Amino acid sequence: MNISIIKWWWLVFLILALPLLATLLYALSTTWGATILPRGFTLRWMVQLWSDPRFMTALGHSLLICLGALVFSLVLVLPAMFVIAYYFPRLDAVMNVLILMPFAVPPVVSSVGLLQLYSDPPLMLTGTPWILIGCYFTLALPFIYRALANNMQAINMRELIDAAHLLGASTWQAALLVVLPNLRKGAFIAVLLSFSFLIGEFVLANLLVGTRYETLQVYLYNVRNESGHFSSALVISYFLVVLLITWLANALNRERG
Amino acid sequence: MSWLNVTRLSKSYGPTMIFQDIDFSASEGEFVTLLGPSGCGKSTLLRCIAGLTPVDGGQILLDGQDIAPLTPQNRAVGMVFQSYALFPNMTVERNVAFGLKMQKLPASAISQRVAEVLELVEMNDYARRYPHQLSGGQCQRVALARSLVTRPRLLLLDEPLSALDARIRRHLRDRIRSIQKELNLTTLFVTHDQEEALVLSDRIVLMDQGRIVQTGNAEALYTQPVNLFAAGFIGHYNLLTAEQAAQLTGETFHRQVALRPESVVFCPSGQGIPAQILGHSLLGNVIRYRVKAKEVELWVDVLNRSVESLHPAGFQVGLLLEPGTLREVA
Repeated sequence: MNISIIKWWWLVFLILALPLLATLLYALSTTWGATILPRGFTLRWMVQLWSDPRFMTALGHSLLICLGALVFSLVLVLPAMFVIAYYFPRLDAVMNVLILMPFAVPPVVSSVGLLQLYSDPPLMLTGTPWILIGCYFTLALPFIYRALANNMQAINMRELIDAAHLLGASTWQAALLVVLPNLRKGAFIAVLLSFSFLIGEFVLANLLVGTRYETLQVYLYNVRNESGHFSSALVISYFLVVLLITWLANALNRERG
Repeated sequence: MSWLNVTRLSKSYGPTMIFQDIDFSASEGEFVTLLGPSGCGKSTLLRCIAGLTPVDGGQILLDGQDIAPLTPQNRAVGMVFQSYALFPNMTVERNVAFGLKMQKLPASAISQRVAEVLELVEMNDYARRYPHQLSGGQCQRVALARSLVTRPRLLLLDEPLSALDARIRRHLRDRIRSIQKELNLTTLFVTHDQEEALVLSDRIVLMDQGRIVQTGNAEALYTQPVNLFAAGFIGHYNLLTAEQAAQLTGETFHRQVALRPESVVFCPSGQGIPAQILGHSLLGNVIRYRVKAKEVELWVDVLNRSVESLHPAGFQVGLLLEPGTLREVA
């Protein structure tokens, strides 16, 4: 019984991993045309990719924009949520609706409006990373809000603050010493979820900024015709970068917990 | 002059009155219980005394000082919550030390006082544990230590035992009482459990729908309930109409009559008021019989001495009623 479940599990895993494996194989092969298996293996594509300054810049841009948007969201959302949960708990219902708005408007639609709004003075933001950071902030908002709201509910924040107050702590001290450390898990999940979502976002990145501040997604799109092996190497590297960051964040989080 | 004096305290949320014109006092070292059904306003009253909820009007005198306008930080009042409210990110030690750190005491003094108070609640072996590694009873003892370490002028306990299982509840109940006596700490205890209230308190303040129904010690509340609510809330009562009571005893009554099931005594058939057993249920050390006497049905509690003394349904007995046990209530 157990063994057959494990067998099934492996089969499902294999099916899911197959495209990735094929891409990996393709990225490592010299040519792979009319034959069943590749003619030979090489690291040429990988080396070519990782020594391409354009790729490194795009990678840097992507990480910068994603992290920028996430830092921005946390810095803005955490205090806002604290104030709502502690002083205006009734606003929670409003927030729950508000938080879903970014999903109500598809990026293709919103980008047209954003282009109109931010292509003229006083706010000429199209083509700069700032507009992407702003957009990604709104996209990350639902993930971050939900994860943090659940976390706040789970730790029974109000009672913790009450207890801290009675022990002589100010609301500031209660928030920093008691509430914030207990939101770490929720914040971590929120950041990780949004990061993996944002680093693959293509529509807004391409329409609002494009090649003027090339991110990884846009770079992939622009070099897709060069060579299949090359873009395969790119996709695999892309995947590895996300995997590495996720693993790193997870390891850091566990160590401190 | 009492240590704590609450006068004309009122609180409402919009049109909803939570409590009104609450007056009670506690002398130094007294253990006072606020007893009442859920929603009677007792927990809100406690939160108001702690300063966590603002009051609409009234005075809270603690050691001669009106603390009603003060923030909770400045009241020097300790509180234990039903859900423990321990800080999950801190060890037992750091939880207990928190209040002293806020007072900016030197580290050596803090660690000494933390060790003392952990000893008092028998938790010194667990100082390095996190709250999630402790059982409910242990958590509540840490919470108690955390509120005692700052040496509060008044200790507030908000249903601290309600989340615990029966055995631990009894043990912690006795521990709380002995610590309270040892420190001579004025304590306000909120509960909906009449047994806890009767066992622990020097004085009980019985509340219903935002008002105080009766104040007194356990005996007074048990034997002399002032009204129907008080009679029904504490212990078990037979409630008879004036007619039923007259029928049973032959005397005249003007109001409803409350009769404790344990104050009715069985005697051999032929003596007392003739009655028939209808059935029984076993409550452990007590057997509760349902009996019928002169067309009136009654509960009668008898100590469960042995299996042989159990009366089967249909058995004929006599009932003895002391006149003083029948109490007219409003």
